[in-house]
Formats: sequence, structure tokens, C-alpha cells
Amino acid sequence: MQTYDVVVIGTGAGGGMVIKTLCEAGLKVCALNAGRQAVPAKDFRQHRMPYDLKFRGFGSPAQRAISIGYMDNEYVAPDAWEHDIAYSTGEGTRWTWPRSNLVGGKTNFWGRSSARMSEIDFKAASRDGYDVDWPVSYQDIAPYYTRVEELIGVASTVQNRPSNPDGKYLPPIRFRCLDYILEAGARKVGVPYLPDRIAQLTQPYQGHPPCHYCGNCTEGCDVGAFFSSPYFLLPLAHATGNLELRTNAIARQVLVDGEGKAKGVAYVDRTNRQEVEVYGRAVVVAASCISTAQIMLNSRSPRWPTGIANSSGQVGRNLCDHMYGTAGFGYLPQLLGQPSFPDNVSAATVAWLPRWQNLDNPRQENFIRGYSFYPGGGCDEFPSYYNDIEGFGASYRAEIKRRYPTPVSFTVQAPSQRSEKNFVDIDPVKKDIFGTPQVRVHFQWDENTFKMWEHAKQVSEQLFRSMGGVYQGHGEPESPGWSLHETGTCRMGNDPKHFVTNRFGQTHDVPNLYVADASVFLNCTDKTTTLSILAFALRTSEYMTTQFKAGAHTSQAPNQG
Amino acid sequence: MAGQGPSRRELLQALTLASAASTFSGFSRWSFAFAESSTQHHHGVASPAMVNPVYRPQFFSPSQYRTVDLLAELILPAVPPAVEAASPKPQPGAREAGVAEFIDFMVFSDATLQTPFRDGLQWLDRASAPAADFVSLTAFQQNALLERLAYKAKQQESEKAGQQFFLLFRKYTVMGFYTTRVGLESLDYPGLTFYATSPGCTHAGNPEHAGL
Repeated sequence: MQTYDVVVIGTGAGGGMVIKTLCEAGLKVCALNAGRQAVPAKDFRQHRMPYDLKFRGFGSPAQRAISIGYMDNEYVAPDAWEHDIAYSTGEGTRWTWPRSNLVGGKTNFWGRSSARMSEIDFKAASRDGYDVDWPVSYQDIAPYYTRVEELIGVASTVQNRPSNPDGKYLPPIRFRCLDYILEAGARKVGVPYLPDRIAQLTQPYQGHPPCHYCGNCTEGCDVGAFFSSPYFLLPLAHATGNLELRTNAIARQVLVDGEGKAKGVAYVDRTNRQEVEVYGRAVVVAASCISTAQIMLNSRSPRWPTGIANSSGQVGRNLCDHMYGTAGFGYLPQLLGQPSFPDNVSAATVAWLPRWQNLDNPRQENFIRGYSFYPGGGCDEFPSYYNDIEGFGASYRAEIKRRYPTPVSFTVQAPSQRSEKNFVDIDPVKKDIFGTPQVRVHFQWDENTFKMWEHAKQVSEQLFRSMGGVYQGHGEPESPGWSLHETGTCRMGNDPKHFVTNRFGQTHDVPNLYVADASVFLNCTDKTTTLSILAFALRTSEYMTTQFKAGAHTSQAPNQG
Repeated sequence: MAGQGPSRRELLQALTLASAASTFSGFSRWSFAFAESSTQHHHGVASPAMVNPVYRPQFFSPSQYRTVDLLAELILPAVPPAVEAASPKPQPGAREAGVAEFIDFMVFSDATLQTPFRDGLQWLDRASAPAADFVSLTAFQQNALLERLAYKAKQQESEKAGQQFFLLFRKYTVMGFYTTRVGLESLDYPGLTFYATSPGCTHAGNPEHAGL
């Protein structure tokens, strides 16, 4: 029976980076992925015109009934998003959980915004007194950010903002008409309007083709012009000859030896529902925040009766997420009747309004920390504003055309703060169709996040006024989970009593068990998570290779214990 | 999102549309490629040609279907060149775009739409009395009836059901029209194409875009 050096659960940003790094270091890796391999040319239909699809992109009633969000639609293969692994929610919790279990996970479909976190984020507790600092400084992580950016290619500009450390960037995506109008309006309000940091290639880069600006990136890119694990990481791992990738392998629990050290992973083969065991000298869990906690909590043994590496009781606790919502929408009369323009070429992340609140004084606003905005708008594939216009006939048609370049909206990205009330545990009764006890999510937005939301709504209205736009209203916050930016179920920290892993992602209790996804993050910030997952996972996997070289993780034998 | 489980899977099988589609004779005005079987890169490639010259409604009766086709064309009619600024030639409307076929297919496929559409069409015919039905009205009368439903200033409290049906029908007309080649061309839809570099604003020196 073969024992690998490392068994890695998950092939997304975190798992993919670990797999690549370990394989390149000469370690034998078995990677488990809960779904199948994607075939981009077949599974991603982002180049389809709506009339090439049976339901014109709106999806069949059956698909709409189970769709978990805008990316789970007729343009991607029906099994691209997970619908079979059930989960529970605690009383009063609404949790939308878009999971992609294709190889590469959510990196196949992500929003590509890639700002670095900063010292203001890592030392936020020291600044405002809430919760605890991260156990790392920006200086610890900065070199890893640089190497990740070199690997994946990020387009942006140097911006010199305290909360947004600059990196080395490819040329930015050009501003559209609406960006210049919004930028002028933002200047009057006194808020920043800048090119986003976006992992989308604006020029050929290390063998990857540049973006061709077709739009619809979140339906998957079939040429690989933005970072995803299957295009940028896994091929490098495969090239070493050190990777065995097992697909449709749904990890159920980490197996332990008699001393409670990790010796492998038990998984369910999705295709036949049989349980299979695979053995390794070390195990990395990178299944994404909630699934990682589920696997660890389900890994019960005499040595770990409440779940592996959970002597602190903190596995599954401290769940955070980004509140998303349309804080304001309207249109720009300046552009009424203007010729159509390809505004949607990069799926609306050309620019952003990075956090400007609480930077000089951490208690300047009536909330702590801060949020950011993403603007969207212009000529889209569908005139979704059609209901704002009265009437029918030739005049109705003409008005739809006249309004076509003008819509604008602001999406808020506001972090929740760490709370005792937000956590995941294991449902005491329910099991999914594979026989695995279901994970159960408990989550409520906190007061601080709602204050950010109120603030964002006011700023949106001001922006519309100052840019000469017509403000039409605002949306409501999306349900928790919708952003796909959950963090914090296995937080890192120096004290084993209060944190699951050390500052390298190695669990305090089980030295040959590591966590390499956003589970280790202390909290959400105003930034997205993927770039930081990549940077922290790179750091974790290089720490692992030094451990292997120093002779750690060599003692396990498969049938021991 | 809670409560997914084996019962949902069984439900899915019961709801699947594959069996319906397999006996489907095809559209006359638009066709869908079964994307599962295609692997080609689709930039600017023409869609497969239409397959069936005569559309046979799946849900509506022949007389209902005539009303659907007429209503769609009244909502998004063919227009002369002047109406949409960028178009140098007359623009086809909902009829040419096959919107009635789309609506029939969507209503056929979605049980939750069937009663609202059936009742709505019946409401419209009754509101057309003393004429036999909506299609028997003169064009002037049809327009007047729709204006009563469409414009707040002309709406009547007693016609709430008709107003709701108008909005539902208009929604599906818009969905059916602006997802066709004809509809997207009427917007000069600029996406799903190939740009060598990111297309940027061309109004240098006028960042606020005043007086365009």
C-alpha cells in the first residue's frame, strides 16, 4: 500500500498552490478533489450568444429552482456548482453557499479582484481594540504577495494608499466613459476611484494568452486569460511527475494513528459512494472555509473526540463573510443615446473604490474597520432596466436603446466582524446522500456591518449627485455566504489554547496536519480573499518543505495504530 | 438552501425537460445549439441555421398563439430607421424575432407561468367586448386598451389583473426579443467579441462627458 508524502484536500487557490509548491520541491502528493475535471471548451459557455442556449441563458425552471446564484446558470455545465452535498443551517440563518467542486474550485469562476492586505488589516485590533491582531505582519507576507503576483499576473497601477500596498503590475484595463464620469464624481465627494487590482492578463504573460475582452468572465475562461488553479498551478505540478490527482473524491475525515497524528484521509468516491482511504506522511486541508471545518470536525477519534486538532474548541468558530449588496443604482443622463460601447469587457471589475474609511483615525466613523465598493454599469448583454420604462411600442423600444449605455450601480463589499454567534458545527442528525454528517452554518450580520451598509448607501447617493447621475434607489444586502469570501474557521495564532493553527498554518495539536485556505484568516477585510489565500498557502507549503527536509513528518506508516 | 437531499434528486428527475424536448419539433425563428455536444470556440461564428419552417405551439391554442404573436409585436414592433439612432435601416420587431415561439416554449416549460398567461389572455379578450376577442379589435382600439394597462396616468383600479398581465407579458417579450440576433443587433450589442486591447473611452479632455 502506497504512502504519499502529502495528501492535499482541495485543488482551488489554497490547495493548488500547496500542490504546486510541494510537487516542485520533490514531494509525492496525492490531491483529492470533490468533483470532476472541467473541460473548459465544453463546460464554460461564455462565448455563447443567448440564442444558442435552449432557455436563452435564463435557465430551465428546474435549473432556476436549484441555482445558488448568478454564476450557477445555463452558461456553465450543470454540475459545475455543487448541488448534491447537503448542508444545514441553524435557526434564523439564511446561508447561500455557492460551492464549485470542479478541479480548481471557485478559481474557475472568481471575480479576479486581487488587492493585497496591509498592516492596517493585520494589526487592526491594535488600532481599534476589537478582537486580536493577526500573528503575522505585512512585512512577513509581502514577499509572498510579490511572488504570487509574479506567478499569476495582476493588472493595476501604483496607487500609494495606506490600506492598499502596491505590487508589481501589468498595465491596467483602460477606463471606460462611465469610469471617467464616476471618477470625476468621486473626486468631488472625496473618495478614491482607481483601477482595480485584477488577476486578468492585459498582455501575454508567461505562456498564458492575454484577455480578449469578451466579457462574462465569471462563467469560466476557456483560454485561461485570468488566474485559475487549473491553468496556472496544476499544470506545473503535473509536469513534475509527483502529483496524483484523484477526482470525485469527497474527503470525509482525516485518519489518525495511535498517537493522534494524521496518517491519511478517508474519502467517498462520488461515482460509486464507496469509502476509500489514502495515506500520507502529512495532510493539508484546503477544502475552503466551511468544508475544511466540516472535515476536521468529522475527524473524531479517541484522541480527538471533538474533531481533529480541536483542543482549543475553535475549529468551526469565528466565521466571517463579506456583505454584498447594491448600495445604489441609477443612470447617467450624460450618456443617453450615445453609441453602444463594450463596457462589459472585463465583467465590470475595471475599477473600484478601495477602503477610505477609518484610515488616519481608526474610530473616525460610527463603525470600525472599512469596506470597499465595486462600480458596474454600461452596455450589458441584457437591458435589465426595461421595467423602469413605462409603455410599449416604438417609443418604448427607442427608450430602451437610448438608456442602453447609461446604467450604473455600486456593489458594496463590507466585512463582518468576528462574533461568537457565527460558526459552523456538525448537524447532530442529518447526513448527506453520501452518508457524511452535514455541516451546519450559524450566521447573522452584525451591527457594525449594517452601519457600513447604511454609510455605503449614503455615499452612493452622494456619488450619483456629484457625477450628474440620476439616483433610482438601492438594493438589500444579499444573504450571507453569497460573496464566497468566508474566512476564519481555523484561525491562526500563537496561543494553542485559542487558535487552531500556528502562524504557518500548521495545527497546534497535530504537527503533520496543515490548513491552507481562508480558514486560517483572522477575519474578513475590505479586500477579497484569493490573492491572500495564495500568498499564505505559498508560505505554508514552503514551511512544510523545510519541515520535511529537517526530518519531520517521516514516521507514519499506513497501518500503524 | 437547506434541505437538499435525496428527495430533491428524485424531484429533479421528475421535472427534467429532456423528455419534452426530445419530442419537440423545433423553432422556426431561432435555434439553440445543444452546447454539451459542441467544443468549438464561438467568436463571431454564426449560429446553426433554423431547422423548422413552421412552428407548432406547444402550450397555446392556435387562437391564443395568434394573440401572443400580435401582442408581442405591439410591444416591440418593427420600426423605421429613425427610431433607433444608430440603425441606418428599418429594424425588425418581435414577430420577426420569433418572440411568440419563445414565450410559448417558456410557458410550456414552466408550470408556474401557465395559469397567469392563460388567465391573462382570457382577461384581454373579455376586456375587448363587445368585440369577440383582442385580435378582432381595430389597431386603434388595441392600442387604446394597452395604453390603459401600460401608463399610470391612464390606469383604472378595476383593471389591476390586466395591468399585471401586461407587465408579465412585456417581461417575456423583452426577454424573448433582446436575446435574439435581431434584438441584440438593435442594441448594437458590443460584447462577446474579440478585442486585442481593452477598449477605452475616446472622449479625451472631457472626463465628465458633458454635452455629448
